Amino acid sequence: MSIVLDQVTKLYAGVPVVNDVSLDIGDGEFFVLLGPSGSGKSTLLRSIAGLSGIDHGRIALHGRDVTHVAARKRGVGLVFQNYALFQHMTVAENIEFALRVRRMRARARRQRRQELLRLVALEGMDERLPAQLSGGQQQRVAVARALAHKPEVLLLDEPFGALDAKIREELRRTIRQVQRELGITTVLVTHDQEEAFAMADRIGIMNLGRLLEMGAPHELYSSPATRFVATFLGAANLILARRTPDGILIGATTVASAERASGERENEVVTVVRPEEVEVAADRAGLSSGYLAAGIVDEVVFTGALERLRLRLDPAQHGSLLAFGDGGGNASLQVTRTQHEQRGFEVRPGQAVAIGVRRVHVLPTPLSSFTACASSAVDAEALSRQPLLTELAARMKTRIGTRTEPQLGLPEGPCQGSDTFVGTIVVASGPRCAQEADWLLRRGARDLLALPRDAQAPQRVLIHWVGEAARGATLAISASVLRHVPAEAVYLGIVAGDAASPGHGHGMRELLDARSEAQMAHGLDMRTELHFGDGEQQLARRLAEAPGQMLILGVTDLQDFARRFGGLLEGESPVLIVHRGSP
Amino acid sequence: MSFRQPSILPGFGLTFGFTTVFLSTIVLLPLAALVLAATSMHWGDFIHTVLSARALGSYRLSFGASLLAASINLVFGFIIAWTLMRYEFPGRKIIDALIDMPFALPTAVSGIALTTVFAQNGWIGQYLEPLGIKIAYTWIGVTLALTLISMPFTVRAVQPALLEVQKDLEEAAETLGAGRFYAFRRIILPTVLPAILTGFTLSFARAVGEYGSVIFIAGNLPMKTEITPLLIVIHLEQFDYQGAAALGLVMLVISFVMLLAINLIQAWGRRRHVGMAR
Repeated sequence: MSIVLDQVTKLYAGVPVVNDVSLDIGDGEFFVLLGPSGSGKSTLLRSIAGLSGIDHGRIALHGRDVTHVAARKRGVGLVFQNYALFQHMTVAENIEFALRVRRMRARARRQRRQELLRLVALEGMDERLPAQLSGGQQQRVAVARALAHKPEVLLLDEPFGALDAKIREELRRTIRQVQRELGITTVLVTHDQEEAFAMADRIGIMNLGRLLEMGAPHELYSSPATRFVATFLGAANLILARRTPDGILIGATTVASAERASGERENEVVTVVRPEEVEVAADRAGLSSGYLAAGIVDEVVFTGALERLRLRLDPAQHGSLLAFGDGGGNASLQVTRTQHEQRGFEVRPGQAVAIGVRRVHVLPTPLSSFTACASSAVDAEALSRQPLLTELAARMKTRIGTRTEPQLGLPEGPCQGSDTFVGTIVVASGPRCAQEADWLLRRGARDLLALPRDAQAPQRVLIHWVGEAARGATLAISASVLRHVPAEAVYLGIVAGDAASPGHGHGMRELLDARSEAQMAHGLDMRTELHFGDGEQQLARRLAEAPGQMLILGVTDLQDFARRFGGLLEGESPVLIVHRGSP
Repeated sequence: MSFRQPSILPGFGLTFGFTTVFLSTIVLLPLAALVLAATSMHWGDFIHTVLSARALGSYRLSFGASLLAASINLVFGFIIAWTLMRYEFPGRKIIDALIDMPFALPTAVSGIALTTVFAQNGWIGQYLEPLGIKIAYTWIGVTLALTLISMPFTVRAVQPALLEVQKDLEEAAETLGAGRFYAFRRIILPTVLPAILTGFTLSFARAVGEYGSVIFIAGNLPMKTEITPLLIVIHLEQFDYQGAAALGLVMLVISFVMLLAINLIQAWGRRRHVGMAR
């Protein structure tokens, strides 16, 4: 491995800007770090270069641990967005800078310089000053300069940011060519997904300091694992669907699904439908793909090769299909059509059409939508507007529904609404919360969030489960939450008794197992803590220790639920209960 | 030349006229008067006045101490500017404002303040005295006063230039393998050198013309701690206007030659880079 990052964390004023990033980049690989501004990608690159220190973790280059090695001794070449050429030096002097530092002979320097100038197609420019070159030429010089000392790793920090489209294209090709010719391991940072697709062997997508997903460009595009990646890499329609024994029920159609709901009950899932996978026709019979719903054309934009449509679904009938809308509940579906499709069926704004979907990708994310539940409509409405909840929903690009259950919390009270609970049910924390949670969980709610009225976004998420059957789901949900909240993840292992008791070794093993499973299966890096004593007491104590914490608690057994965990649901911290196993 | 040049502000004719009149009235005319007064002297008298041992001693002190003061400021002014631009620390704004104090203070006040501190019985002077170091009433005191009053010029000239040296450049040098000192010498210094030279020139010019602060701390011993501006005042007090003008002319010429030399060095430095590019 050329570059190995192990749990790299960089704090800025106490807040992680790079959060537990682990990453292996192979020899000669072209790796692109992609993310919106402020996602921590540049900071990560600077950490690899050694220009900014890290607070936690390890960095190794070609098997050498360089975590505490100065930038100048790391053997990397770095190219900056604004070129950072030495203005008072000629092109030749710029390129030879690293060689001069290394006291290379003048003849050898000149030879190397010629070689590099040929590589970046700037022969004969030796004696120019940077100010006399165009932006694209200057960046070529910067690339040549960064390669002069034969670094083992080439790092590019938004190198095309300041260039116009045509030059950009050209320089991209040059850099890719140079990289292939030299076989040098390269990391490029960009916020431009097209650039990432065009250049990368592999893309890593960052958001809020976390590395969310990694993979080949086409894999990431066709089967993203997270909502963020799905919507960040190109346009995506997120559509709520049901996982049934027969497949995925999306709108009016059931699509066969490879990952069958094995033994699990029906549940809500989030699906990704790319705009180019949506078909429109005059009526249902005209569709060659599965029928989704009826809709009305809102907008038609001609963009040359493609036509973009925005379709409005009837909110009364299909409003619940779309995972998120434009705020006012008027969710719209994005569609792109080729010339060929346009000729087959022309549409105008206002026209009613039948909508079909050709390909559906189910996100493995376990959190689909939120439903605020209370015993009165007013309370449910108020709860659905809780700031942390709306913030979470906005970040997860999902919606918040409401549900009124007048009998909520009464032991024998029946369900008012439909007998199934989909998505995550949200209830207000407080003294009644334990009863309500117990009531909901016994009636089929799987994920339940107890939310204090003025809870803020947590800085730390504590993770614990009681019963091994809840482990997978708890980890999956924790990973999902942590992708949308810039917080630190801590797994709490709790061993009955004290440190001297025989359970100690077992507890440690469990801890390490949990950590490696989180890492392997969900890309979630978490710290681990081992506590001794009674489970509920330790949780309550740890939760009360500091403000700004959230607990994700997996349970399998509802026996005595209210008594055991009731105390946790009255505090100032949000608690997400993940219930798996028999109701 | 055309007086019809497009510009944001109209009236090039008017402004150009104003510039000429203004410069003539307050700069060129008095200088011309000075030259005239000096040249109306007898050659013999002129030579006698400007080459007298006392006059020569005062030139040496005036220009020597000024050069020394400007050189001190070159180093320490740069360090101060660097500290103010590169580091964030409590009180930075206050120190930044203090830099300009010598501008605002009447120079005589600076002189009195320095004397209070550095005289034999002054705060610091009393401890230096037993060591055999005398500052007040020696050339060291003169240099000290000149350093103080000309220091802001270097700092203010270098500050904006340092702002231009992007951190990226240092980081680029670092990733290319350069140590701190190497990066400083090869990257930062060349970039800010023109500004440093400008600061040096301004400091020097200010120091040569200084009068108020020096006369308090210098002791004004003829041949030893007497600066040329003081000698000029002494001539004036004896109603020897022509002698004063003669000394003034000499200062004018020497200053002009030195400033011209520094400017030429700077211009040569710029040309060298452009020349190399061809």
